[in-house]
Amino acid sequence: MNQAAVPSSEHALEESKFELFVRVAMLLAVITGMEIVTVYLPFAHSLLVTALVISSAVKFLFVIFIFMHLRWDMPFCTILFFIGLVLAGGTMWALLKLFSATASIPLSSS
Amino acid sequence: MSTAAAGTIDHHRDPTTSTGIPNKKLLMWAFLASDCMFFGCLISTHLIYRLHPPPGVPAARDVFNIELTSFSTFILLMSSLMMALAVNAIQKGNLRSLRFSLLTTIFFGCIFLACQVYEFSHFVSEKHMTITNSIFGTTFFTLTGTHGLHVLIGVIWLSSMLVYSFTGRLSEKDSIDVESMGLYWHFVDIVWIVIFTAVYLLEYI
Repeated sequence: MNQAAVPSSEHALEESKFELFVRVAMLLAVITGMEIVTVYLPFAHSLLVTALVISSAVKFLFVIFIFMHLRWDMPFCTILFFIGLVLAGGTMWALLKLFSATASIPLSSS
Repeated sequence: MSTAAAGTIDHHRDPTTSTGIPNKKLLMWAFLASDCMFFGCLISTHLIYRLHPPPGVPAARDVFNIELTSFSTFILLMSSLMMALAVNAIQKGNLRSLRFSLLTTIFFGCIFLACQVYEFSHFVSEKHMTITNSIFGTTFFTLTGTHGLHVLIGVIWLSSMLVYSFTGRLSEKDSIDVESMGLYWHFVDIVWIVIFTAVYLLEYI
């Protein structure tokens, strides 16, 4: 095994990835547990919704940047994916806003 | 494969393409970006009808089983870890570790699917909620069913890759194939992260 042929920084990165993946997975499991506890807490509705949205976003970002390697890939991959993500998020926001307007509430709703 | 050879392959860049990104990876990211919009529409449709429910729609809290869904979420997160380790293994040319990680990912994926089948059958037989008898059932089954279909496709893809690894034709040079499959699997996981919060947890507040 010729270890000298491998750049030391790259070799160290590959070695540390295993530990990083395990740590991130444990963190994601802990955040999920906290989310489940959060919904039973007697706090204001808006506060709980904000907490859940933030924790989901954190989990989402950890998966795409660590597990999906965006952190180490070329920036174009991030840009490409975020184009789809922004369009999807924008569509969701627009639809939710549109249907929350009084004139747009479905006629059959209670 | 020797470590020296492993050091010569850059898994994040491909100088032979104009973008510097392997074509298969670029294709997968473009597909995932489009799939984001697909799931975005399904999730927003479900949320709109949950915010403005028609009369007679069952209360979601009475229907859902949060313990089972939390367990499914945990299983899918752990499958993502094993998938990341599988990609790491093939990038080091470690086929033995790759097979173990793929097998574990398939196992976790099957558990997730089994939980979903149980959940669906429980909703239909015990809670009398079908895809046609309420708007809640329609949007819920369409959204989670589409996600389940994605998981099923992922499990089939993973299984075929596992079988392929035994043919002796899979090596570190083909790591982009495993990485593309990994991207798809992680995407299934991030979609579930959103569904778990938007569809399940928000009902309990």
